[in-house]
Amino acid sequence: MNIIISFLLFFFLTFQVHANTIYNLIKIPNLEIYETNTTNKLRYLYAKQPFTIGVDNNINCYNSEKKILDKKYKIIKKNLDKYDQKFLKKINLKYIVLCEDLSISKINTAGIPDNVMKTLILDIKFNEKYFERVIHHEVFHIINDSYKELFNEKLWSNFNLKEFKYAECSTCTDKLGLDTYKKTDGFFTEYSRSTASEDMAEVFSHLMIKSNLNDIDPILKKKIQFIKLNLLKIDQSFSL
Amino acid sequence: MIKKIKASRSEKIIFTFIFVLAIFFFGSYFSIKNKCLFVKDFDPKKIEFNNPKNIAILSVPCGNVIIELYPNVSPNGVKRFITLVKSKAYDDVAFHRVIKDTLVQAGDLEFGKRGNIDYGKIGTGKSGLGNINSEVDSPFDFKKGSVALVRTQKFNTEDSQFFIILKDEPLYETEYTPIGKVIYGLKALEKIKYLDKSEYVLRPDFINSIRMLVN
Repeated sequence: MNIIISFLLFFFLTFQVHANTIYNLIKIPNLEIYETNTTNKLRYLYAKQPFTIGVDNNINCYNSEKKILDKKYKIIKKNLDKYDQKFLKKINLKYIVLCEDLSISKINTAGIPDNVMKTLILDIKFNEKYFERVIHHEVFHIINDSYKELFNEKLWSNFNLKEFKYAECSTCTDKLGLDTYKKTDGFFTEYSRSTASEDMAEVFSHLMIKSNLNDIDPILKKKIQFIKLNLLKIDQSFSL
Repeated sequence: MIKKIKASRSEKIIFTFIFVLAIFFFGSYFSIKNKCLFVKDFDPKKIEFNNPKNIAILSVPCGNVIIELYPNVSPNGVKRFITLVKSKAYDDVAFHRVIKDTLVQAGDLEFGKRGNIDYGKIGTGKSGLGNINSEVDSPFDFKKGSVALVRTQKFNTEDSQFFIILKDEPLYETEYTPIGKVIYGLKALEKIKYLDKSEYVLRPDFINSIRMLVN
């Protein structure tokens, strides 16, 4: 039996030899370092070639031109510099993967957060109009995944009107609009109506980009308070 | 009557050429066989150290590797390492995981001892002293020659295994607990046996010993 186990182990291990450091750390192939010298210790990586990961290889992303990469890196860094090293460590975010045409099960997406691998994959070609906001939106998913107990979806849903119900999942609905409502009614965007966690992420991202909060409704005010209070439970020095 | 035949000039040249070729062939064969031929062996007694208390001497097949430990960076990690060094626990332990020009890893005290290697479990062994917490918060430049403690996918699982990197690995900062840096003898580590097709080495090289310069 031991011989069989040893043989299988050896056979399995022989296929790991070409795995590089980045792959060993975050299990995404074809990446290279873009920048590691950052004040908050975020490590920026970029796709040198297209990569495929996930269950049944359902996540795909492609390499980008250097010119685009350089341009978008500045925007991404400017936004992610709003989080300090201490906070990022608490929420388990360390690696930012830059690539383009990111999709999951053939549905295009702005980002894929993975707090277990401490990684956020960002589509650098995502709609420019919302680009900065979706960076924070995706960061919130990392926060939420790391502190599920704080961001209770039942409590959150109770802020909404009784007759309102979220969809089963974020892609189970056609409510995908990301334009910020001029007149809010408990939600910042159409996409907020998809699920509770997307709603929270939309509130958080609007706070992070300092959206105009003068004319918001009482429901949204409660939601904002909820997000702020729980963020302070994670890090007392976190300010919005 | 047998006539003495004299070699012609061209025959002499060919003979000389074959003779030189044979010397070159055998010379090369023995040079290549000896992988340590051009590796300098450092004698710690002939070197002056600023802080001799923090110097560990790792003896490997091609000579001495001199490591400066950094207790101010990782106090618990260095303490664990020194404890195991002083108990001679690392003697005869395999470099079981070696990636050419990238890293060498050793320190599996349970399944990596000479004469008692378990290839099915090597890399998973413990020291019996328990896990220690990761010390990854201090800034540390993971340059070539850095020595760090091995952990599993989870933090706070460091024990006896350590690795030494043979190239710069900036992404290791805040991932692994650094305990020191090789200051002399890195070349000897580059000669540790590796396999082209596997990170895990069958019939590996072993640590001869690790000793602190000052006991």
